[in-house]
Amino acid sequence: MNLLFSALIGALFGCGVFLLLKPDLFRVVVGLVLISNAANLTLMASGRTRGEAPILPVADGRPVADPLVQAMTLTALVIGFAVTALLLSLAYGVYRSRHSVDLDELSREEAREARELEAHEAEHDEEPQHVAPEHHEVEA
Amino acid sequence: MTIVALPLMLLWPAGVLFAVLDGRRRGVGLAAVAVLAGVFAVLALLLARVAASGPQELVVGGWPVDVGIRLRVDALGAVFAVLTCGVLGAALLQAALAGIANRALPALTLFLALGVTGVFITGDVFSFYVFFELAMISAYALTGLAGGGGRFGPALIFAVVNLVGSFLFLIAVGALYRATGTLEMGAVARAAAELEPTTAVLIAITFFVAFGIKLGLFPFHFWLPAVYLNVSPPVAAMFAGGLANIGAYGLLRFGGAILRPELALAAEALIALGAASIAYGALQAIARRDTREVLAYSAIGHAGYALVALGVGGRAGIAAALVFSIANALNKALLFLAAELRGPLTAAAFLVGTLSVAGVPPSAGFFGKAALFDASVGAGSTTAVVLLFLGGALSFVYLFQIYQHDRWRPREEREREMPRDAAGAGQRTVALSLAVVVLALGLWPEPLLAVGDQAAQDLAGPERRP
Repeated sequence: MNLLFSALIGALFGCGVFLLLKPDLFRVVVGLVLISNAANLTLMASGRTRGEAPILPVADGRPVADPLVQAMTLTALVIGFAVTALLLSLAYGVYRSRHSVDLDELSREEAREARELEAHEAEHDEEPQHVAPEHHEVEA
Repeated sequence: MTIVALPLMLLWPAGVLFAVLDGRRRGVGLAAVAVLAGVFAVLALLLARVAASGPQELVVGGWPVDVGIRLRVDALGAVFAVLTCGVLGAALLQAALAGIANRALPALTLFLALGVTGVFITGDVFSFYVFFELAMISAYALTGLAGGGGRFGPALIFAVVNLVGSFLFLIAVGALYRATGTLEMGAVARAAAELEPTTAVLIAITFFVAFGIKLGLFPFHFWLPAVYLNVSPPVAAMFAGGLANIGAYGLLRFGGAILRPELALAAEALIALGAASIAYGALQAIARRDTREVLAYSAIGHAGYALVALGVGGRAGIAAALVFSIANALNKALLFLAAELRGPLTAAAFLVGTLSVAGVPPSAGFFGKAALFDASVGAGSTTAVVLLFLGGALSFVYLFQIYQHDRWRPREEREREMPRDAAGAGQRTVALSLAVVVLALGLWPEPLLAVGDQAAQDLAGPERRP
């Protein structure tokens, strides 16, 4: 049972990391959801006793499941929901402003904008030439 | 004893109330600052009480001891809470005076203060996670708001990277509970001392990675510059002077108190990572010209110093890490708040921050570095001493570089970038008063050093010195 549980958690975490590394925003979010569920399952699995549901009245002499980990998992689940909602809203914000959720495309676009901005600044600003030689002296 | 819970009881309803108010109105922003000032006063009182009569405890909800969740304030938590509330209040005040562009900013700042204060005063490992996540969610939202105009990218990277850190933290909490059978920090520390080394080391590494991500230490730093560049200066000050304290506090609390033998075991690795952080942060900062980017890399570098102090270890090392973290948070807040204001007085304030980061007396930064130096010499760690010299010299270079670039240029060139009257007298006063605090702590450092020593004593106990 322990082995099955850890294998499941490991598989969930692994899938989460795999999705996290995909160049697609929504896959990244789903990957995080998987990782959060792996964490929740780890919490559940870290209970110190197993047995009946921990609801009063408890039958004498019967083992009771650890209620503390269940309380913790419940709290962590709620936090996970809030975080997922926030992430999705951020991802939607990106989609609305850029019309794309492809991370490669987004970073290409941002790099292009940064270049344009720099070119724009360089027209006005001749500062780098004055300051640059000093940097090298100090670093050496 | 209700004074222990009072900061949370003030901040929680205030956060909810301000969430429905329009934060763009000047009055609303200033009222939120007033709430933070009130909380600051309560926390200062709490710190005075902790200094006079030791740690204060409260079991919430009237539960019996060992059943209910425990709030526990010792010198370490109290001083971080006071510092953070002060910095958040100052940053919000400056934002309110400059005009807040987004209605949610005051409410989010209050929730951030609630989360961070909760982290510092809880005595329970799991509620530490809950408060920690509350602070982080507010921070993600603050970054997202700042984006506006379609720049949600940095907020998303920030959230994704830090969430992975949070889930690792959660897994570590589960493992710690499984191994020790309790969540109360004092009991966890006692039980953790008996653990098998393999178990404890795995748990310690997971905690370290989680806090390393929050603090922006070298191998986990990649999210940090993009975030600091994207948010407005007051929010950057909140992050550098408030939110980053969670990482420093977490390392001190979990490394210095709960998993102490593992900390001693990892001393060399910590010093090596700290050294990498210092060198990487400083060299990257030298290569940048944008003030905020320089400060962001400088934050990565300075996270390294606290880590080196922890690696040096012992009471002196922990006290040094604390004193340095406090001075560093104040410096960074001051620099971010003063960086984009013009005028001779704010230039002076910025200069004070610069000198403090470089560690020139009389400034708070001098005593932070002096404490580190003292701890390294005491522990006979040549590496740490060399690093401190090198790091100090490099921070001189990059900070004066931006000082020169920002302030020593022909007037018309500077004014094109930032018109002279863009900053009101109020904003300048905020930056100046932070500079005065930095100077005052440099001229009269006894309270700071005494608190550092007491915190180290609470954490490490008087007996051992590895």
